[in-house]
This record gives sequence, structure tokens and C-alpha cells, in this order.
Amino acid sequence: MLRAERKVSRQALADAVGAHYQTIGYIERGQYNPSLDLALRMAEFFELPVEALFSLRPFRPLTDEVYGRKQ
Amino acid sequence: MTITGTTPTPRRARTRYDERMYALMNRREGAPLYATAGRRRAVVVAHVLLTVASLAAVFSALATATVWLSFLPLVLLLPWCMATGVINASTRGLLELRTRVLDERQLAERDRVRALAHRLTTYVLLCAVAGGIVVGELGGLTVGGVVLPVLISALAMHWLMPLWVAGMTAQDEPADEMDE
Repeated sequence: MLRAERKVSRQALADAVGAHYQTIGYIERGQYNPSLDLALRMAEFFELPVEALFSLRPFRPLTDEVYGRKQ
Repeated sequence: MTITGTTPTPRRARTRYDERMYALMNRREGAPLYATAGRRRAVVVAHVLLTVASLAAVFSALATATVWLSFLPLVLLLPWCMATGVINASTRGLLELRTRVLDERQLAERDRVRALAHRLTTYVLLCAVAGGIVVGELGGLTVGGVVLPVLISALAMHWLMPLWVAGMTAQDEPADEMDE
């Protein structure tokens, strides 16, 4: 997970994007789809394009990406 | 967020009261009291019972002019306040904090909770009206002259108010540039 990879706590991310820390957990578990506004703020925080964080289709597991496995 | 041609609506700044309430509602000291669904349900059931007992004591005290009954709600007030606090803490102040303090997920959650609560209240009022009619017709008991009309009016109002509010606040259809 990108947040853990960057060593950012839920609280720190929540404070940075103006959300509640529980909301970050809901988003990470796929229990809440953020608005475009919040998604853009999260992308801005990580300095990544929004499609690197959110996608209409599930992301491929990192191991598949690294080892070039095909699903 | 800024969409081309629009300006974002600024959010009202939090006051010191908002900050204090937000911190209060997000304190974690009582977390073990609401850590599981079972405990949360138990607290809500206790809150319902305490509320019913307090109201029953007030009504009985008024009807019978019994002095000790009028003090019972005061005794029940402390556990009632504690139960209220636990419920508020378990929701992180969902219904207690002002709109400007809540984020978009919490606002959506609050709307969902209110819609469900509204539906449940409609059913309770419907049952009360049906109960009043049944008691009057079958039980031979007379429900006070204005009680039933007031109850039916309250039910109709409660049921239809969201429709009226939705109708009054509906927005104009936006013009499509392609039509112009």
C-alpha cells in the first residue's frame, strides 16, 4: 500500500487532505469511494496522478508487476 | 476542486467550539466500551430503556402527583448522559458535530443514518396511529378527543416532509450548451 510504503500514518494523511482518519481506512478497505475532490487532494499529497491511486478496475498485485506474471 | 468555469464553494472555518467538540468526540479513552458491535448494541438498548423509564417517570409523576417519581428522571440522568456519551464517541460525534467539521464520508454516513431513523420513526408513528384506532374500535376505550387527529397529523407530516423539502429545494435543469 502506497501510504505504508511512504511511511505516512492515517492521521497524517487525513490531516493533509482534510478528512477524518477513519475515512482513510474506509477508502483503503474499498468501503468508501472518495469524491473526485478528495481523490485529487490525495493524489496531490502523494505527488502522483490520480489514476495511480484509484482505478475502475482492481490494481494488479505488486508481485505480478515486479515479476511480470500474467493473470 | 475547481472545474473549468466554476469556483469552489468555500467551507466555513471551524470555530474554537468546533475544535473543542471535535477533540472531545475523538477521544479514545472510552474505546473499550464500544469496541465491538455487541457492546455498541448493548449501550443503545440501555439508552432506549433509560429514555423510556425517564419519560414514564415524568408522565406518571404528572398524572399521580407522586413526589418521588418526579426525582427518578434526575437519578436516571447521569447513566443516560454516560450512555449518550458512549454512543457519540462510538460514532465520533456523527450527529453531534456541526456539518463544517465532518468530512464527506461522515456527511454521507449522517445522511444515511438520518434517512433510516426517519423511516423507523414513520413506522413507529404508523403503529401508534394503528394502535390508537384498534384500541378505540375494538377495546372500547376512548382515545382522547384530539390525541388521534394529532397523531395522524404528525404521521402525515413526518412522512411527507422530506418530499415537500425535496420539492422546495429542487434545482433548475442546467442548460446544455449543445442545445443553444
